[in-house]
Amino acid sequence: MKLTRRKLAQAMLAPVAVSAAAQTQAPPPLPANPDEELRAARDRIKTLSDALAKQTVPMDTEPALAFKA
Amino acid sequence: MPAIGDDVFFAAIPELNQRLIAREFSAVELARAFANRLEQLGPRYNALALPLAQQAIRRAEDVDKDLKRGRTHGPLQGVPYGVKDLISYKGRPTTWGAKPYVGQVFDYNATVVDRLDAVGAVLTGKLAMVELAGGPSYRFASASLTGPGLNPWDRTRWSGGSSSGSAAAVAAGLVPYALGSETSGSILTPASYCGVTGLRPTYGLVSRHGAMALSWTLDKLGPLARSAEDCGLILQVIAGKDSKDPGSAGKSFYYTPQYARPLKELKVGYAPVDFGERADPAARAAFAACLTVFKESGVQLVETAWPQFPYGPVLATILGSEAGSIFEPLITSGKVDELADPAQIAGLKASLEIPAKDYLKAQRVRRLIQDAFLQFFAEVDAVIAPARPGPASKIDQRLDAGGPGPAAATSATAGFQGIIPAGNLAGLPALSLPCGFADNLPVGVQVMGPPFSENTLLAIGREFQSKTDWHKRRPPMR
Repeated sequence: MKLTRRKLAQAMLAPVAVSAAAQTQAPPPLPANPDEELRAARDRIKTLSDALAKQTVPMDTEPALAFKA
Repeated sequence: MPAIGDDVFFAAIPELNQRLIAREFSAVELARAFANRLEQLGPRYNALALPLAQQAIRRAEDVDKDLKRGRTHGPLQGVPYGVKDLISYKGRPTTWGAKPYVGQVFDYNATVVDRLDAVGAVLTGKLAMVELAGGPSYRFASASLTGPGLNPWDRTRWSGGSSSGSAAAVAAGLVPYALGSETSGSILTPASYCGVTGLRPTYGLVSRHGAMALSWTLDKLGPLARSAEDCGLILQVIAGKDSKDPGSAGKSFYYTPQYARPLKELKVGYAPVDFGERADPAARAAFAACLTVFKESGVQLVETAWPQFPYGPVLATILGSEAGSIFEPLITSGKVDELADPAQIAGLKASLEIPAKDYLKAQRVRRLIQDAFLQFFAEVDAVIAPARPGPASKIDQRLDAGGPGPAAATSATAGFQGIIPAGNLAGLPALSLPCGFADNLPVGVQVMGPPFSENTLLAIGREFQSKTDWHKRRPPMR
């Protein structure tokens, strides 16, 4: 199976402890070196960006910067 | 010679305090016993970051003097505890679980340490953690200065992250309770994996002053303990306004079980698929039994649909952006390469390249998420779901792989998919309760509610724990 960097990045989408969920799919191969690792991390950011772009937000929605629960 | 045995090491906080007041043993004897146990057994689980026996005994001497004079300060007085090693303790190393910070020493205590000190709690040690509380990404449980957190129920399994040592130490009876932190799952996951009770408080309820920042708008501190009752007692002490924490909500918390709403008045939402199809097959029987207990407890269980948002990408963008800014000096200095986990290193480096537009977009989506949950919790008082879909993963298992498999992808309903990032994005409190076993390992159920609903969650937790004994089970100490 040929693994694209995008696929690797998608596989890494689950953040922090969320990534520890029970897994049922075989993991992609490990990046071979730090450069490949960094490329995968950058692709992950691109994947996140693409996912966010699909979400529509009303124009008057202000960011939750002064976050209060 | 005082009788300090397993019954003491696994006792609840009120019992320990009562036995201190009754002079069955002194605070010094109790502190010494727990400190010795933590020092002896902590390394067995890679749970110990720093023993503080001498300081603990000195503090316990003061407690004994107070008790002798009848000066009582509540149930935490004289009771030992531990803190995750991202919480500062004046004059001693605070490593954040990461090699680049091995020599780091702060000249002040975290607010939570001062608050616990003020009621006579006795800090016996600092507890191990995933490096930088997980940062934006890590691949293996070994992403820690102290090695992978080993689960007291089975040392070939992970204790969970990032509050690994906090959960393992409570589970193994090395401390009666511990403080951990959660940015996205770092209290609930180890609590579930180790079979202890963990409370993620509402964002802003507990001061983070003196604790490592990973994400200013997501970080929370909270307790891991033996029961919901203990979590309530701890939260009452550590919660409250703090001008040193810009995220402080300015609210106090009073643990008031006597004023809890009758459970029969509570509407609790759930998605059956979470307890069945989306759960690890080995855990489904435990989760089914757990649902039955909730039904018998008197709450009104209602099947509920969940607001749909890209929770994972929103959280990862916010966390990555804020962590990148916080750790920019580490990254640009090159010291980031000293971290243990290659994915963690790469994730931090790449985090500096997240576009500002993405961070702002994520924060705008987060506003929609908050609004959606305000509406959602107008319909139900709380929701329940498995804290994790199954038991602890194996130590060498990759944590960055896969995702739900084909079976989950074809589910008729998504259930409460993304409950951990969703709850953290909306700043919601959640309580993880041990609810059974799968493959001889504990599994947990989480109860989550609207902001500042901790008393409701704790009331539900107390009722659940009055009908079950999962929280009283002890791991085999072999």
